[in-house]
Amino acid sequence: MSNPATLPVRILWNAFFWTYERATWQYDLMVIAILAFVWLTPPSWLGDPTASGNGPLGWFLALLDRN
Amino acid sequence: MTFTGLIGRICMFPLRLIINTCVALRIHPNILTFVGLLINVAAAFELARGHFIRGGVIIVVANIFDFIDGKVAIELHAVSAFGGFWDSVIDRFSDIALFLGLIYLYSHLGRTDYAMITAIAMMFAIMTSYTRARAESLIKKCKVGFMERPERIVLFMIGAFTNRMAAVMWVIGVLSVFTVADRIIYTYRELRETEEAVA
Repeated sequence: MSNPATLPVRILWNAFFWTYERATWQYDLMVIAILAFVWLTPPSWLGDPTASGNGPLGWFLALLDRN
Repeated sequence: MTFTGLIGRICMFPLRLIINTCVALRIHPNILTFVGLLINVAAAFELARGHFIRGGVIIVVANIFDFIDGKVAIELHAVSAFGGFWDSVIDRFSDIALFLGLIYLYSHLGRTDYAMITAIAMMFAIMTSYTRARAESLIKKCKVGFMERPERIVLFMIGAFTNRMAAVMWVIGVLSVFTVADRIIYTYRELRETEEAVA
């Protein structure tokens, strides 16, 4: 690619304008990103009305605070 | 093989057994579709009561019916235009039922913010199906955008089993907005190309 600055833009555009099939590596990457958001985001950040606990990321931040 | 492809292959083993049983019993696929809806309504009741694990288990059972109806139709040579139409309509009812269960729960908890987020996610989930159906009456195919029904259902299961439904509603909502936008843009481009080719 001639201009490296276009790469992140292209990645963002391809993530937004999704044309990939299931069971492709791009699909797997999207699934990983979604699962990371769902499981790692502390429920308190989202004001989750039903979730209990802080999730893995909240636990890690609390651990850092303690140290 | 990709990670998601491997999961799909593993899940096919028990599903194959259920499909073979339904074919042996000659259960009509349209009945399987309707039973799936009834089970989804039961799942929605559990979600509305805040029983996420129970709701998740029922969603899994409901979607087994949803998944196998098409396969049973093929094996019984009962594929019909009405069957496809019936399946699509029932799928929308099933989707709406699950969202309504959550809207009831969040309203009951006094969380109008999440009731609203869930309502918006529901609106765009329905529009995802509508935009494709309407587009495919004008162009050959409109299968773009990430957040289709299988993804929504798996996310519902993940949210229910791990008690992270709020995050799941955000994901479904935001990605459904993108999916609807993708389909509008794609249809616009395809129609413009056709018009230019004619002119």
